[in-house]
Amino acid sequence: MRGRRLAAAAVLALALFAIAGQASAQPCLIFVHGKQTNTNTFTTYTSARNYWVNGSNDFVRTATKELATSYYVVGYNGTRPYWEPQSAGEVANEIVNATNGGADGGGRRCARTFANGGTFWVVAHSMGNTVMDYVLGNNDASDPNFNANGPYDQVAARISLVISTGGAHRGSQGADAVCGNNNPFCNFIAAFIQSCDDATYWLRSSDDVQVRTYASAPAKTVWLTGGYEAIFGASACLSGEDDGVVQYASIFACNGSATASYDNSNVCNNSNKQEASGFRNLDACHENHDDERNASDSDVRKAIPGGNWLCNGVPCAPNTTVQSSMTTARYITLLY
Amino acid sequence: MRKTFGIVMIALSAALPALAQEKGWLARETAREYREQARFPESSRALKPGDADPVKEKRTATAQTQRGPEDRGPALSVRAESVSFEVGRPIRLYATVEDGIALEVTGEIVGAAGDLVATFAYGDDGRGIDKKAGDGVWSARVKMPEGLQPELAASYMVKVRSRLLDGDVRESVGGFLYSNPAAHLTGRYRDGLRDGSLVVSAEMDVTRAGRFHLAATLYSMAGEPVGTAQAAAELEPGRRWIELSFYGLMFHDRQVAGPFRLGTVSLATTGGMPNALNDLVENAHVTRAWQLEQMTTRPFGNPRLLEAASRLEKQ
Repeated sequence: MRGRRLAAAAVLALALFAIAGQASAQPCLIFVHGKQTNTNTFTTYTSARNYWVNGSNDFVRTATKELATSYYVVGYNGTRPYWEPQSAGEVANEIVNATNGGADGGGRRCARTFANGGTFWVVAHSMGNTVMDYVLGNNDASDPNFNANGPYDQVAARISLVISTGGAHRGSQGADAVCGNNNPFCNFIAAFIQSCDDATYWLRSSDDVQVRTYASAPAKTVWLTGGYEAIFGASACLSGEDDGVVQYASIFACNGSATASYDNSNVCNNSNKQEASGFRNLDACHENHDDERNASDSDVRKAIPGGNWLCNGVPCAPNTTVQSSMTTARYITLLY
Repeated sequence: MRKTFGIVMIALSAALPALAQEKGWLARETAREYREQARFPESSRALKPGDADPVKEKRTATAQTQRGPEDRGPALSVRAESVSFEVGRPIRLYATVEDGIALEVTGEIVGAAGDLVATFAYGDDGRGIDKKAGDGVWSARVKMPEGLQPELAASYMVKVRSRLLDGDVRESVGGFLYSNPAAHLTGRYRDGLRDGSLVVSAEMDVTRAGRFHLAATLYSMAGEPVGTAQAAAELEPGRRWIELSFYGLMFHDRQVAGPFRLGTVSLATTGGMPNALNDLVENAHVTRAWQLEQMTTRPFGNPRLLEAASRLEKQ
């Protein structure tokens, strides 16, 4: 009897050890939001946190496996151009704070600091990715805008990777339409680019405002996923597949024209990105630009060229349905 | 511990359809990539056979295309001749209409604050900068007004409107950078070897103190891009040199020996946004006939990437 108890205790101890080991090996997730029409996410933590929430649906809660994984929510001024101190500078400083074990505005902190062996994955949505491209592409003394307004070098040294959802890596054709004040068939009233403010101006698709013009290849790999569910009125002026705000050429960081028309079958593969290295495809989902960040639409996921879904041990053919009902937030839980 | 983890993995995989993601794949794949990239310093990378020249790509203007509703109907594509125009150079702009016939194409140049700088008409009459009449490529040459010289650079939006034969209208938005760089390449270059890497130096005429970024792509004499290098430095006015170090391992990766051609060189004045971009210089210099044996075979061992890989592998 005593032997059985000892054995049971040993099994329990081993199980607890296994769980503890697993938890400590998990990355801390750092969330970077997208474009804003006001400064609320910069001035109040609640707004930054709620960016990821829609009713009872919570991207952060889902992606962190019901908050079992430690996390940190960044809030920056999403009305400013991606390269400014209150955008890129603020994001860089907050990420370094997170890696030092500092708390975000809501008191959440990463379980392990960088000094204690922690790993950190950035999850960015929309313009949050443009900001990250600028930071990670200007982290080295040889880069054009090295440490322009923040500790970009420390960010690049400390984070392991970025997961980009609906990233505006090449801007948005919606910004073209809004700033051009044209195309009556387009309607971005409900989107974050409803006016041509300074941030929107710098999200257009022409080369003079593109982040790749002012940055080198990202120092850490940016993994790309994004949606193809249209938004009525807005998708009308976006080329190819889009999430209602950002077109595929931008979501998947393609080289060439930012307004080229792509779909799940022919979107640029990993050899045809806006930089020679640093961008890799994951998959596509039937989510719109809002769904991508608030986990409110559990829908179909599709394989894309160079993506990471396997079918019978080999990469799935592009446009294969790989999941019938899965949010991007839930998908992220499969990645760590 | 690994076995427990493995059982969890199998359980998760079984919950999915026949399609599955291998647990931990992302961390392992990212780590693998970092170990490969760590063979080179961040400032100098080898290009794979077939890769495009990244320095040239960044300075090559792309088109902005707008179709009709739902991505249908005639498309208006607009582009500038280059990403940036140096102060004093005329702005050359182009527009094409696909799947339709344009009766006229007009444009406006607008500043970042919404200020109207110029209005103009594109021509497809074979006159001026328009190469061929009626070929569907509409061209315009615009001189920027005096007094708009930026301290460093300024972004301008180009709003283009096309009236089509069927009565429809297409509008598209492009842009360009108007740059006032504080240095120019003089055309003098020299090359040498240091620690098994090829160092190409470029001379610059600096007119205002500032931070400068130089990038270049090296080609084999057969015309294949081999690798890139970049550098940045704070410089005072006068004749100054910036060194670009092409890490020696790239030549072994590609199995090419000298001489090499400095195929594209881009200079920018940085230290403020937007940066001022100089015109791209092509075929700038041919190096001496350096031998493959003179180049290092030692991987650089980028410590940051190796550290990141190690941490990911432990996840």
